[in-house]
Amino acid sequence: MTLLRRLSSGVLAGLPGGAVVALVMKPPWVLWAVHTVVLGAVVSLVVSNRRQSPGSAFSVGLLVGLLDWVAWPLTLVPLLNGITPSWTVTVAVAHFPALVGATLSGAIAGLVCHALAVWFPVAARPARAKPHVVIVGGGFGGYGAVRELDRLVARGLDAHVTLISDSNFLLFTPLLVGVASSTVEARHVSAPVRAGLDHASFLHGRVESIDTRTRNAYVSAGRDGMLRVPYDHLVLAVGAVPHFFDLPGVGSHAFAMKSVVDATRLRDHVLSSLEQADLEPGPAEQARLLTFVVAGGGFAGTELVAELFDLVHDVLHLYPRLHDLRPRFVLVHAGERLLPELKATLGEYAQRKLGDRGIEFRLGARVAKASADDVLLDSGEKIATRTLAWTAGNRPNPLAQHVKQGPLVVEPTMRVPELPGVWALGDCARIPDPAGGTYPPTAQHAIREGKAVANNIAAVLGGRRPVPFRFGGLGVLVSLGHRTAAGEIGRWRVSGFVAWILWRSVYLSKLPGTEKRLRVLADWTLDLVFPRDIALSAGKDRRAA
Amino acid sequence: MLRSAVFGALAGLVGGLVFGVVMALVGFLPTVAAIVRTDSPVVGFAIHMVFAGIIGVIFGILVARQRELLFWGLTYGVLWWFMGPLTLLPLLLGRPVTWDVAAAQALLPSLFGHLVYGAVTAGVLMLLHENRPSRREGTGPALIRGAAFGFVGWVLVAVTISPLLDGRGLEWTPPAVRTAIAWLPPFLLCGAGVALSFSWLSSLSRAVLSDDVRQVRSRRLAGGKVISLWHGVLAGLAGGVIFTGVMVAVGFLPVVASLVGARSAVTGLVLHLLISQVVGVTYAVFFRRRSFDAASGIGWGVSYGFLWWVLGNLTLLPLLLGSSPQWTSAALALSFPSLVGHLAYGAVLGLVYQRLEQRVSPWHLTRSEAVAARSAARQEQTLSAAPALWSLITCVALLIPVLVA
Repeated sequence: MTLLRRLSSGVLAGLPGGAVVALVMKPPWVLWAVHTVVLGAVVSLVVSNRRQSPGSAFSVGLLVGLLDWVAWPLTLVPLLNGITPSWTVTVAVAHFPALVGATLSGAIAGLVCHALAVWFPVAARPARAKPHVVIVGGGFGGYGAVRELDRLVARGLDAHVTLISDSNFLLFTPLLVGVASSTVEARHVSAPVRAGLDHASFLHGRVESIDTRTRNAYVSAGRDGMLRVPYDHLVLAVGAVPHFFDLPGVGSHAFAMKSVVDATRLRDHVLSSLEQADLEPGPAEQARLLTFVVAGGGFAGTELVAELFDLVHDVLHLYPRLHDLRPRFVLVHAGERLLPELKATLGEYAQRKLGDRGIEFRLGARVAKASADDVLLDSGEKIATRTLAWTAGNRPNPLAQHVKQGPLVVEPTMRVPELPGVWALGDCARIPDPAGGTYPPTAQHAIREGKAVANNIAAVLGGRRPVPFRFGGLGVLVSLGHRTAAGEIGRWRVSGFVAWILWRSVYLSKLPGTEKRLRVLADWTLDLVFPRDIALSAGKDRRAA
Repeated sequence: MLRSAVFGALAGLVGGLVFGVVMALVGFLPTVAAIVRTDSPVVGFAIHMVFAGIIGVIFGILVARQRELLFWGLTYGVLWWFMGPLTLLPLLLGRPVTWDVAAAQALLPSLFGHLVYGAVTAGVLMLLHENRPSRREGTGPALIRGAAFGFVGWVLVAVTISPLLDGRGLEWTPPAVRTAIAWLPPFLLCGAGVALSFSWLSSLSRAVLSDDVRQVRSRRLAGGKVISLWHGVLAGLAGGVIFTGVMVAVGFLPVVASLVGARSAVTGLVLHLLISQVVGVTYAVFFRRRSFDAASGIGWGVSYGFLWWVLGNLTLLPLLLGSSPQWTSAALALSFPSLVGHLAYGAVLGLVYQRLEQRVSPWHLTRSEAVAARSAARQEQTLSAAPALWSLITCVALLIPVLVA
């Protein structure tokens, strides 16, 4: 029912009670008219016409009438006459006739409102097809977009929203290294998507193809095999996949770090290697098992090598035959210094800290080939190892290539050029940065891109213009293991223990939901006191098999 | 509808019978008989029974879909006290209506009689109706229900049974009620306290003893608990700002400041706003997910505001200032401005809290299954005793001038 109609019916409903009051009390007609209209309108606004029972309408009308007595004769009328209200019993007694009038007026108005709503029901509006917004990908970008759209729908955006993802949780990837190094339980870094959605729908499946001409997404889900999901607006937030550059043996022997499964598998592999080394009679094979190579010296690689170092040394005392051995950790990086995302001083700090612990670096080198027994670098060096972790390259998800050949360069509003209704963000898209280049593929950017694309879609649906995405970044922090970290917050550079506290505090606060925060906090607190868990997950490691 | 009307008529006749006895005892039947220009009590009783039947028919139709009819009956009884002896009876007798406190005080026996009529009619109607179980209502609504039961207990014990046991007969006269009103606050607090304890014990026993996980499902249909506390703080502050108007007008802020040994109005204002927020947080704890629209927000808020007038202004404030609880009729009369402030505070608190809660969890819109479930919960509340409780508690609050003047 429109507001105007509700107000009109309220004014009508206020008349019978008002007439009784007018007959009995004979008040000044202007004041009486204003009061009657206001009381009726308020009763009508409060007595919602939706599924109200006559009893409830009467009772709520009575309640409004009683409160009207406090508001009108005891408060507003004195104020209008320039007198400060006193609300004493004497005044209340003097205005008792108005109490009777207001009570009867309110109760009658409530009943009349209900009767009007029953006798003159609002004609149902013809159903209009709502636009369908489909978000593909449940990572930071996709989740940020669907949460914002969910919020907008709650505030009146007239649209259906569906998130399609092949995982039914949001993975908090910054803590994936913690899963691999056994400081955080795997389930604690993933939040169920459904728990965060009140109005949007979730479809658990994998988008196999997208027809941008007919605006349909084809999803592999459920027993029916392939589902066709029509859309009006499509948000591509499918992220990136590891890129092995077709290097021989790397794809089949390297451990990627993109999912919980990847992290758990790497953890199990490292612990299996320790178990095997403890049994191994030959020193050469023992050394091979205790050598761990990480390719890539960016954030992920640096954090990973530091955390693996901590994991191995934290549990080594549980393997008596390995006490006198020194596990090797080698970081292979194509650049001339670690952490190119940070200022040179912080990169050098990280390199010095890790180097002091005994971690070896191969800077300016690339992995050329990998096998089950060793890793060959382009410098010709061969490192005997059974563990190669890969963080040296990512490429956009192949689905993005399916939509448009080549790099998915989008407009500043994140709209894909020449593809109406298609938007892209996150690691799979290149979003122009007004400061030059494109925005980096980080979680903090993806979350904000998701929110911005949701607002842009809402703007387009509302007939407004979308606005370009702008975000300056909050800063960066990298954990270097052993209660050390480094980073930049704005112009501030931090390192050491303070940076580590900051790193944990920031990521704890960014975790989705209080429950996950408390669980990770508990994991971290227990990790300060107890050694890491060396129990293997079910099944044998693929490399050890 | 016909079935409801017939049941209502039957229930109304039984209620009228009991009310008739009361009228005979207080000698009011000849006044009713005067409608047909006679003073015979028998004729008066017959006319009274006709009215009782007709009013019962209306009640039967009105509450056909409601459940837990006791409080509906009491609210309906109060309304008919306004409508009947104060309005229609004088008109039928050819006189002007008697909308003044003197007449209302003279008609106090009739008010209690109408309450008895409403309660008995509701009771009979409940027996005639098929039994419709109600859902668990939560701590906040239980508090208000407890306070309403406290009022019923006061009418029964302090106003009726106590004088009967003392051999003073049915003493519903204004002086007797003025004396008995000192027992109203303890009865209200006792009712609320018992309801609170019962609600908590019931929740505890359910949590410990029940293994039916479906019982906790409904709790998961709304957003986080922490944000509701913030909503309570904001809504409490909004209510406190409105209440400040009354505080300033009647010069009560220095009294509040004396709680911390100060006399400054500014200190009083800060303390008052802090208390408003704390009470707002308790409202959020007790009434989370219990207000589904503006009506229920205002209804619960006003009822809670009234409870805090009794607990805070009449009981805790004097105790904290080193005095005893101020429950006498004179104290109640003196505290009437504060009651107005508490009701205004409650109305704003409840309304603002409902609006804030709706922003994170719009229960009134059917956009998903969870929201549809919340909409069903709203409908459930509409059919429960909740709307009657809001009106009854507000009636009790605003009739205090009649009882103490």
